[in-house]
Amino acid sequence: MQRVSLNPRPNWQSKVEQQGLTFHSPTAMAPHPYWDESAAYHFTAAEIDTLEAAGNQLQTMCLAAAQHVIDRQRYAELAIPPEAIPLIEWAWNQEPPAIYGRFDLSWAGASSGKPPKLLEYNADTPTALLEAAVVQWAWMEELGRSLPGTSLLHAPDQFNSIHDRLIAKWKDVADYLTQPVYFAALEWSDPDAQIAKEAAEDHLTVTYLRDTAQQAGLQTRHIAIQDIGWNPDRHCFVDAEISENQIHSLFKLYPWEAMLAEEFGPAALATCRNMTWIEPIWKLLLSNKGILPILWELYPNHELLLPAFLERPGEDQSSSFQRLFSYVRKPLHSREGANISIIRPNAQTIETSGPYSAGPFIRQAIAPEAVFADAAGNDRYPILGLWMIDQDCSGLGIRESAGPITDNLSSFIPHYFC
Amino acid sequence: MKRSVHVSAPLLAAVALALNTGCRQTQMARCVDDQNHVVPDSFCDNPHQTTNYSGVPMYRPYYGGIGNYYIGSTVSGGGFTPMSGASYSTSTSRGGFGSSFGGGRGGSSGSGSGS
Repeated sequence: MQRVSLNPRPNWQSKVEQQGLTFHSPTAMAPHPYWDESAAYHFTAAEIDTLEAAGNQLQTMCLAAAQHVIDRQRYAELAIPPEAIPLIEWAWNQEPPAIYGRFDLSWAGASSGKPPKLLEYNADTPTALLEAAVVQWAWMEELGRSLPGTSLLHAPDQFNSIHDRLIAKWKDVADYLTQPVYFAALEWSDPDAQIAKEAAEDHLTVTYLRDTAQQAGLQTRHIAIQDIGWNPDRHCFVDAEISENQIHSLFKLYPWEAMLAEEFGPAALATCRNMTWIEPIWKLLLSNKGILPILWELYPNHELLLPAFLERPGEDQSSSFQRLFSYVRKPLHSREGANISIIRPNAQTIETSGPYSAGPFIRQAIAPEAVFADAAGNDRYPILGLWMIDQDCSGLGIRESAGPITDNLSSFIPHYFC
Repeated sequence: MKRSVHVSAPLLAAVALALNTGCRQTQMARCVDDQNHVVPDSFCDNPHQTTNYSGVPMYRPYYGGIGNYYIGSTVSGGGFTPMSGASYSTSTSRGGFGSSFGGGRGGSSGSGSGS
């Protein structure tokens, strides 16, 4: 795993825009672009095998952890609302369609002598998908053998069957869906450029997923999450058409924990058995940082895991926490690097702000260092996002930051292997 | 299988183009107060409402325009008569999803719905 410096393609901005990535250069990140092809990560085929196997193994472990939470009724530790529990258990047993998720791992490559480590699982609303599935693919197709380390005999390849696997998955689940399938994300316009970037990101990510469903032969409709209507007389969710059509199958790029806390949360629970929600509500168990301590408890000292513990308010925490002199403190539901603290002895605490300060929190050991130098000699911290489509590890997308916390100002860096 | 054979996302490309050129169809019906701020739909349920000192109804439906369904947000670009062809059931309420990340959403604090 090497970080190689490259010359960005002429007119790369218009190229990635034509592929759907309009938010490539948010002003909040200037002078760094979000889509950054001034560098790429170059892997060996064996390293890609390591990552693929890690993703598949972590998926098996996470499903076992979810089963454990259900069997032992450990919902309170994950701050799961009690009213959601019967629906989580129902959905877990019914196995309604679940499409995708993204594991975030820290790794410095095979030469580090250490295995990759799971940082968290974005199992409910992962983004950075079209960058990984479409834009970096087109980038590699165009650059081909001009990439460093490639040759006539060794064409570059990419860990990326996300697109094909998504289409195949939609075909698999078509019989379990009522068409049209609605695709919803938060949509709004905002003069703040950074917020506008996030809005475009959600909208285009859900549009890409809808695109793959259409290519699988499904009829689809678009709706903004705010435009979804609730009709109490008909006891159903309806679309924004004049005829107010009932929504039977809905892909929502919107977190379950937020939905349940909002006005329509009770209605979503009341109709959960009559609708197909993608991702399903049981993903609440895995998108929750509380699953990390449970994984560590079930698989102690597993090579892909970092030690992790739940903070239990009012309890003496010295017994388990004394083993963690250095750790990352994360809220159960933090997004985009919000409210994360990095605590090390004799060092200043690194903290990010955000809306999740009330917790609850977990503590996770700091991963082995995975830092690469850019062309100017500055530190860059990559996070490896492993895409799970259904149960299969299907691709890799890398985001990179100037510091150890990956947030909404991190860049997307393409990768290849040969 | 490590690589996709053929990656093509035409719908994504078309929607991205539309976003960049600012083309977006909106069809909303919201209940607003006399200051054109969005209020809960139930405020518009009573057709015989009080008016303010200048005779403007305290609460009335607002059709079309831009913006969103968040309570307190200001509407513009639409009007007080229905858009041609558009009609909404009075019993359907909207805006019940999406409030967690609306309005005072902070940039660097990062509360995006995806992560």
